[in-house]
Amino acid sequence: MCILFRKLIIVLFFVCLNSVVIAAASDCRKKEILCVGLVTDVGTVDDKSFNQSAWEGVQQSAEEIGTVIKYLETRDPKDYMVNISLFAENDYDVVVTVGFGLGEATSQAAKQFSDVKFIGVDQFQANALSNVAGLIFHEDQAGFQAGALAAMLSKSGVIAAVLGTNLVPPVVAFKEGYVSGARYINAKIQVISTYHPGGLAVAFTDPEWGASTAKQAIDQGADVVFGAGGTTGNGGLIEAASHSEKYCIGVDTDQWLTLPAAHPCLVSSATKRIKEGVFQLIQHAKESQFPSGNFFGEVGLSPFHDFDNKIPQYIKEKLTEIHMGLRNGSIKTK
Amino acid sequence: MFQKYINSRCGIVRGLSFLVLLVILWSYFYDSAITEAVLASALRQSTPLALGALCGLMGERSGVINIGIEGQMLLSAFVGFLVSVWTGNLLFAVLTGVATGAVIGLLLAFMSVSLRIDQILGGTVINILGFGLTGYFYQVGLNTKGKLQSISLGPLQDIPLLGPVLFNNPPITYLTLVLVLVVHYVLFHTHWGLRTRAVGEHPRAVDTLGINVFLMRYTNVVLGGAIAGLAGSFLTLEAVGSFERGMTNGRGFVALAVMIFGKWTPIGSWGAALLFGLAIALQTQLQFGGQTIPHQFIGMLPYLLTVVVLAGFVGRARPPAAVGTPYTKE
Repeated sequence: MCILFRKLIIVLFFVCLNSVVIAAASDCRKKEILCVGLVTDVGTVDDKSFNQSAWEGVQQSAEEIGTVIKYLETRDPKDYMVNISLFAENDYDVVVTVGFGLGEATSQAAKQFSDVKFIGVDQFQANALSNVAGLIFHEDQAGFQAGALAAMLSKSGVIAAVLGTNLVPPVVAFKEGYVSGARYINAKIQVISTYHPGGLAVAFTDPEWGASTAKQAIDQGADVVFGAGGTTGNGGLIEAASHSEKYCIGVDTDQWLTLPAAHPCLVSSATKRIKEGVFQLIQHAKESQFPSGNFFGEVGLSPFHDFDNKIPQYIKEKLTEIHMGLRNGSIKTK
Repeated sequence: MFQKYINSRCGIVRGLSFLVLLVILWSYFYDSAITEAVLASALRQSTPLALGALCGLMGERSGVINIGIEGQMLLSAFVGFLVSVWTGNLLFAVLTGVATGAVIGLLLAFMSVSLRIDQILGGTVINILGFGLTGYFYQVGLNTKGKLQSISLGPLQDIPLLGPVLFNNPPITYLTLVLVLVVHYVLFHTHWGLRTRAVGEHPRAVDTLGINVFLMRYTNVVLGGAIAGLAGSFLTLEAVGSFERGMTNGRGFVALAVMIFGKWTPIGSWGAALLFGLAIALQTQLQFGGQTIPHQFIGMLPYLLTVVVLAGFVGRARPPAAVGTPYTKE
């Protein structure tokens, strides 16, 4: 029994391990230099998904407007505050926090460090703080377009979605948009979808779960798989790629560029233009026109790449029509 | 009388298996495609757990705790993935994955048998090493040329229910089923297995009979490591086809629970792994069907059962007596 108890302690200790190194950037004290720090959600900055897109936006600001940049990768949700404070205490001017999960920590930090500007990607601002801009997206609209595309491609009348956790509202919005988009095309279509059962710490980093879940859906007749949930979703896309005559749709970024393993099935991705949004907000910060409250970024389907000549013209026209309809409000996602 | 039946471990296990079997058959007549999909998914999800549990029990049966299964799996998964990227030869990649597991097993054996350091610490070192090394050396943009594909076993595949579930799998899944039987046979029906178990229960007695305790422990931990290596190869080379940081996601730790649930026996652990796998697959299916039962409830069941087993409710779960204590010659 004692051994088991020790095992437990060690496991807990191990889970808590998180090393953080940040060099004190002395230049950040100077007024003319804009320092931008980025804190990822649990995951890595090269996750081929939303952390990476946000970081690319920050990198673009370094190239085009000469900011000093650095990132911290979060290993455990309880370190959100610690990582954000590290930047704030080192005189960084702008801190980008990536992901819904960091929302609470971000507003807390914003109250504590009132001279630092915060960009919260995927963080809806219910109570606007003057130094926080929540970069949010109409995920339901992106999901709606993905669902419409899936329904038009499906021959079996069954389409699937492999999702991160429903603890994250954007993921839920993607899913609900996907379902209504599919129903908009074909009212009788069967949409089978599932959220990862784990919490924030594992739901977006479990490719094997995503892959076996996609397989389970394909075995039941699904012929289009929508993967929305970091590397978990990627696992689902790669699995679909190993079955013949199946399509898959990526998420957040144009995954054709980031996930070559999915090329055999990847028709498009339901993208949120995170990179552009982050860059715009940093630019606003530089020009001292930082908006507070909610800032809406663009959403849409990415190019079809190799599938471009395999997608019939009527589908493309329908998608454009839906895209316009969503923008001018004549089509509702709910 | 009834109380006696409840208390006998066999009664409960048989009753439970019978119940699960009935439910499976009922659902098969209800919707065969879904039942087959769920069972195939359960088998797939159980594979890394069963392999991890085999690794754990080989170590513990010979008296060495292996809490580093997670790290062994992760490192093997990574090395197997790299070799697959470089050479494009999947068989060779699996072999290097297995070899990596064995080498890490050797390191664990060296730390816990020769250096006699605390075995829990030894395993933890391996876990940290696994996360650190793979995280540091992993480069984005590496792509494999594919993964191990399913091999269907001819006419066997046409058997209803069993065919599509059991006889249309990729190679490591088949190999797992074979390994469970092999480890069971070796452990309980050979001299070598008897010595292994004796070394785990009372090394002093075995030593007096002239059997090399150190050698027995080394071999078991290294062979166990090779099996963990196979589990790692399963993740990158058969299941997903690519590597992600920390992609084992605690499967090495769940494997320990599976091993305890299976009472340190290969067949028991395999059954437990299947139960865990079935719970994960059912969670998914409940959501596919849009059911309102919270899926977390189903996901919780195997862990709850593990606690029940640990609490000694269903017979006693007793680890080998000498587990965790390094052996010193007098």
